[in-house]
Amino acid sequence: MGFLAPWFLAGAVAAGLPVYLHLLRRHRTTPLPFSSLMFFERRTQSSIKHRRLRYLLLLAFRLAVILLLALAFANPFIERSAASISGEKLNLLVIDDSFSMRAGTRLADAKREAQAFLDTRKPSERAQVMELGSQVHVLTEPTQDPGVLRSAVSSIQPGDTRASFGELAGTLRSMAETVHTPIELHLFSDVQRSAMPGSFAEMALPGNVSLVLHPEASSPEPNWTVESVSAPGEVFDPKKSRVQAVISGYHTPAAKRTVSLVVNGKPIATQTVDVPADGRATVEFSSLDVPYGLTRCEVRIDSADSLPADNASLFAVKRSDPRKVLFVYESNDTRSPLYFRAALTSAAESAFNLETVTVDRVANAQPTGHDFVVLSDVASLPSSFENALTNYVKAGGSVFIAAGTSAAHHPRIPLFGDTITDSRYYSREGSRFQTVGETDPSYPSLGKANRWAGVKFYFAVRVAGTDARVAARLTDQTPLLLEKKLGEGRVLLFTSGLDNLTNDFPLHSVFIPFIDQTARYLSGMETRAGSRIVDSFLELRTAKEQSVGVEVVDPDGKRPLSLKEASTAQSFQLTRAGFYQLRLANGREDLVGVNADRRESDLDVIPKDVLALWTGDTGKEAQEASSGTVAQDQRKPYSLWWYAVLLLLVAAIAESLLSSQYLAMSREEP
Amino acid sequence: MQRFLDPAVLGGISGLDLVAKTVVDGFVAGLHRSPDFGFSQEFAEYRAYSPGDDLRHVDWNVFARTERAYLKRYRGETNTLLTVLLDASSSMSYSSHKVTKMDYARFIAASLFYLTTQTQRDAAGLIVFDDEVRSYIRASTRQGQLHRLLSSLENATPHARTDYAKPMLHFQNFLRKRGMVVVISDFFESPATIVQTIEPLRYHGNEVVLFHVLDPQELKPQLDEPVLLIDMETQESLEVTPEYGYEEYRTKVESHINQLKDRARGAGMDYHLLVTDRPLDGALRQYLTLRQGRY
Repeated sequence: MGFLAPWFLAGAVAAGLPVYLHLLRRHRTTPLPFSSLMFFERRTQSSIKHRRLRYLLLLAFRLAVILLLALAFANPFIERSAASISGEKLNLLVIDDSFSMRAGTRLADAKREAQAFLDTRKPSERAQVMELGSQVHVLTEPTQDPGVLRSAVSSIQPGDTRASFGELAGTLRSMAETVHTPIELHLFSDVQRSAMPGSFAEMALPGNVSLVLHPEASSPEPNWTVESVSAPGEVFDPKKSRVQAVISGYHTPAAKRTVSLVVNGKPIATQTVDVPADGRATVEFSSLDVPYGLTRCEVRIDSADSLPADNASLFAVKRSDPRKVLFVYESNDTRSPLYFRAALTSAAESAFNLETVTVDRVANAQPTGHDFVVLSDVASLPSSFENALTNYVKAGGSVFIAAGTSAAHHPRIPLFGDTITDSRYYSREGSRFQTVGETDPSYPSLGKANRWAGVKFYFAVRVAGTDARVAARLTDQTPLLLEKKLGEGRVLLFTSGLDNLTNDFPLHSVFIPFIDQTARYLSGMETRAGSRIVDSFLELRTAKEQSVGVEVVDPDGKRPLSLKEASTAQSFQLTRAGFYQLRLANGREDLVGVNADRRESDLDVIPKDVLALWTGDTGKEAQEASSGTVAQDQRKPYSLWWYAVLLLLVAAIAESLLSSQYLAMSREEP
Repeated sequence: MQRFLDPAVLGGISGLDLVAKTVVDGFVAGLHRSPDFGFSQEFAEYRAYSPGDDLRHVDWNVFARTERAYLKRYRGETNTLLTVLLDASSSMSYSSHKVTKMDYARFIAASLFYLTTQTQRDAAGLIVFDDEVRSYIRASTRQGQLHRLLSSLENATPHARTDYAKPMLHFQNFLRKRGMVVVISDFFESPATIVQTIEPLRYHGNEVVLFHVLDPQELKPQLDEPVLLIDMETQESLEVTPEYGYEEYRTKVESHINQLKDRARGAGMDYHLLVTDRPLDGALRQYLTLRQGRY
């Protein structure tokens, strides 16, 4: 028996206090004269003795409370041999079914070894089966029934998730809080290096768990894979759309690989690439000619390794027509349409078709049919167009207004409605220019446009009495970007120009993401991702789209969501590789290509010294452990803390009852 | 005036004559509101005049109307004889507060003497005893009787043990006239012995009253821890637990009081328990009740 914190035993000195109170202080009695002892009897002496005995009992309980308290803090333990407690042992069989176990016959070998272990197991020993991926799934409860255990092992199918030994250790640590019997963990895995967590401490197993490894791979195997594919989620112009793929080799020699771009199952382009030894190469397909609508695409390499499942990377694209944008400007302003068009073209992958028209000709133009309208420093609008534009916005359209020096000549911003209270020509003032003081990063136009440093504003207008939302301000607190709701639509006001005269904003890199995000925001176009990785989550609805049914069809054509989940689930975890068909809460149909995490393609194994450290054995013991044998005479500390606390509780309750009884005796009724 | 009956207040007054006057005056003032008790100036009856009667007591108003002489008689005019037997054993010096049992007994005796000699004009006497008769003053209405009684009371200091047999025998030898006998004691003796010893006093036609004086601590002892008690009469010692004091002792004392009360009343004696932290009017009221019954 030992103590984990023996210095707490010094607290036992406090036992002297009740000894002092009971045995020393109590005897200070003074004689008391009384008129007559006629009604007192000799037998009261025995009452005194009885009382003394009860006081001694109370003293004993108080001493026990103090001593047990000190003992509990000292945390006593005894060492018990594993052999003596083998009858309570739990055999925990964990079989790795991560994506890398698809290589060769790894999973089949692991299942066969697990079945063989179950055959040699003592019938009296309990066992439990779990499968390990990104999460640990319990397949059986602890049982002695061999039939249940064997069928659980047989039911394990190859998965697409990424194994995590940190998750396994975390599960066992949680398990050890409730299961105090010894656990013998049998891990059937390819002990892939990428399954290790960032810190080795996360793999630490609890004290009552002994690890026995059954490695299915001893050395790294060569493997090529399509590591990543960069393709647009939405295609507007097939000739301008490009697909870029990275081909990686892990522990591979230099080799030529044939890479194909497959659309709807048919290869439309093929290239050959030289992949260096243990390195990566990039392939680019210059066009992506897909039909209108959603299309299943993949980049595939020829198979030449033991893990063919990672030789293709799936993605989905959607073919659409470009969106139309109406750009209205003053006839003497030739700069702003130039900068706006350049930014829109370079950023939005030809998603927008910009139609420019000057103010003097805009009377004949119709805003309907355009995704949004831009008014660039327009002094005034023909009343017929302004009315049409107002109706267009109220019906759900959007307008972006840039207020430059021309607009400042009039007292009111057209369509926005607010009056101009001040025109700030900073170049004429002492400060010369203003910069952006504060921005609202939650605003859609400013999400990625966060590098405003160095942008100089020489002119800005101030509007008064506005109830609009301010998304950005200059350093003198002049609002720079405002949004106002008008009917079902919205109007954005940029209180400076787009012409590189009132500011140098178009010359800075932040101009492109600002225009891109503003255009996407005003047109209602969402950024589409055509591919995801396994275990990622897919957002099914926004906060405004509650109680609307969604539909998910997995790669096998099954619907994994129940009816209740389909109307309430906020997100969905992608657990399989393949194409998922979706109908989201906003009514949009979508297609997502899901690929396994490419870290699983690196078939490198954990070094033996690290494995020996994990199992807690070194030298000969490590060899024994790797061969599947268990040290028989292993002694484990067994904490007695709970027993000490239990006894402390009992002593405290007894002391309370006894002392409260005495207290009731000495309390005089009035 | 009622506060002058509080023993704690009386303890601060020096001189038993002043104590007695204070108590009786306060008590009489309180009686004015009570119709239940008689008083010496209360009208009792008319009696036909016979030669030799004091003419001062003739009701001349009645004579004027009827031409017959009648005497007005008052209740207080009936004569009686009071003898107080005061226990002066050591146990009477016990006190848990300001007033000892002996002081309390003195206050009662003095008040009775004052009430008897000064107000009722009755004869009063005193026997102070412990295991012997320590002092004896024959009942009399002589001038200066009250002074003699009070100085005897003041000189009575508690010591020795109680023995009822000797003083009672002594008293029987001297008692020749009927009257009232008041025994003031803490009665730490078996009720049978007490009643058996005192009962012969009744044979001469005396009214006997037992005033049982006890300290509140003797009725309900409050002990916080085991104590060593020393008997004030025998000097014996005994260690006592608080539980015993709370439970068995109280039962025994109550049983003792009840037995004494029952036996005393069974023998035709009156019994009254006096606790030293309570006012003295209970004892005086008891005395007057008995006095009223002796017309």
